[in-house]
Amino acid sequence: MYSVNPEHAIGLVGGLLALPIALIALRFHPQWRSVPGTIRAAAVLMAVSGGVHLALIPHHLATEPITSVLFLLNGLAFIALAATFTWRYWRLASAGLLISTVLAYLVYVGIGFEGPDQVGIAAKLVEVTALGLALVPVRGESGRIHRSWRWATLCVAMPMLLVITGATVWIVDLARPDPRHIHAGALLQATNTVATPAQVDAANRLYAATKTAILPYEDWHQAWAAGYRPGGSTTLPSTHWMNQRYVDAGYVMDPQRPQGLVYANTHHGPELLGAMFQMKGLNRFGPDPGGPMTAWHEHENICFTPFGFEFSLMTPYATCPIGAIDISAPPMLHVWIVDNPHGGPFAVDIDSSVVAALDRS
Amino acid sequence: MEKATGRAHGAHSTETSRPEAVFVLLLLQSIFWMVAGISALPFALGGELHMIALGLATLMVALLVCMVAIGVLWRRLWARRTAVGLEVACLAGSALQLLLPIGANHAPVTLLTNVVVPAAVIWLLWGRTTRPFFS
Repeated sequence: MYSVNPEHAIGLVGGLLALPIALIALRFHPQWRSVPGTIRAAAVLMAVSGGVHLALIPHHLATEPITSVLFLLNGLAFIALAATFTWRYWRLASAGLLISTVLAYLVYVGIGFEGPDQVGIAAKLVEVTALGLALVPVRGESGRIHRSWRWATLCVAMPMLLVITGATVWIVDLARPDPRHIHAGALLQATNTVATPAQVDAANRLYAATKTAILPYEDWHQAWAAGYRPGGSTTLPSTHWMNQRYVDAGYVMDPQRPQGLVYANTHHGPELLGAMFQMKGLNRFGPDPGGPMTAWHEHENICFTPFGFEFSLMTPYATCPIGAIDISAPPMLHVWIVDNPHGGPFAVDIDSSVVAALDRS
Repeated sequence: MEKATGRAHGAHSTETSRPEAVFVLLLLQSIFWMVAGISALPFALGGELHMIALGLATLMVALLVCMVAIGVLWRRLWARRTAVGLEVACLAGSALQLLLPIGANHAPVTLLTNVVVPAAVIWLLWGRTTRPFFS
């Protein structure tokens, strides 16, 4: 959802090429200066959307001929409407085409014909903006302008389309992540699919070495003395304690110097759950001795707020709540020294039931 | 979006349609904030209590942007000033986020919502030619 599908990148090129062409070509329209600027802007944006749809045809032609035909019809309809903005039924036709195009995309994404990506979401934003510009009544318009139905359609259709589009792509992205997005906001390191015996041995050795090295930190005072500090709210079920000195030093998967420790926040104090190794830079995964067993993960597009060191996820529209900024965290690898039945000792997350059980104990 | 004359479809006399275009863009932005505010609230259920405040603050900003959009539509000078101020702040924040090495997303939707929309609003409201339409 947050990246451009390489197969759809050509759509961006098509849209960007269509923009100057439309701006120049539509100026030659004899009525260009006589219509409100909102209509002109809507016409240009529809031409951009038409360019995106037409550019996507070659890629889909071999595998999805029906989709290609729909793209062709859609693209031509957008370009035709962009050029005929003085037509009497232009507004009605444009609104119908724009709304049906957005809804058709959502159906495609919903049933899994397309994965949500930046090209699709950006194109829908352009189309919803074009819809708003086509419908908004302008002061001083003359003739039968149907002001009330235009306001009603604008104020209902725009919010509804944006909310439904955002919700649909978000739900689909969370419900059907690709194999490398193991959970929301985490990108998993690419590895072989089944661990070899040598990789299993290496993972066991890493586990044993890490567990032995961090056992003294079961007493959180020892961790504090070693320079570990809570890196977030201690009202959450668990908290990562970070050692900034080890983070800055950039030790790579050193069991004696893990960058972080994870504690469960139980009613009888912090209880050690495991260690966390972290790389120094983004997009550079660490060594992977256990293959698929010890794959690193990177948290992408999280809305991080320094108020209580809390986070949420960036919306499909690339916005974060006020006071939060969009960041990505460098790759990390957890080693859980408590039993983690659902993911194992190197899982991305600790099972919440394990943390709850510790709290009850 | 400059003044247009003529009697074609939707023709108008001496008015500008810039405020209406800004209304559409601000409405769009208001919905983005609303979605961001709502999306923060479920995290409060997971124990991130500050997210309640941030979510509610974001929803208030969404409401403010919606009111500013209506003010711009009604050609109110305060709304024009607030909108420009708000978008300059948005652009500055976006520039920081995009330029600092914090791994922020630089994808097309980010650029559209955080750069193109604020820049378009500023462009539409800026300048002496637009100012006379606001009172």
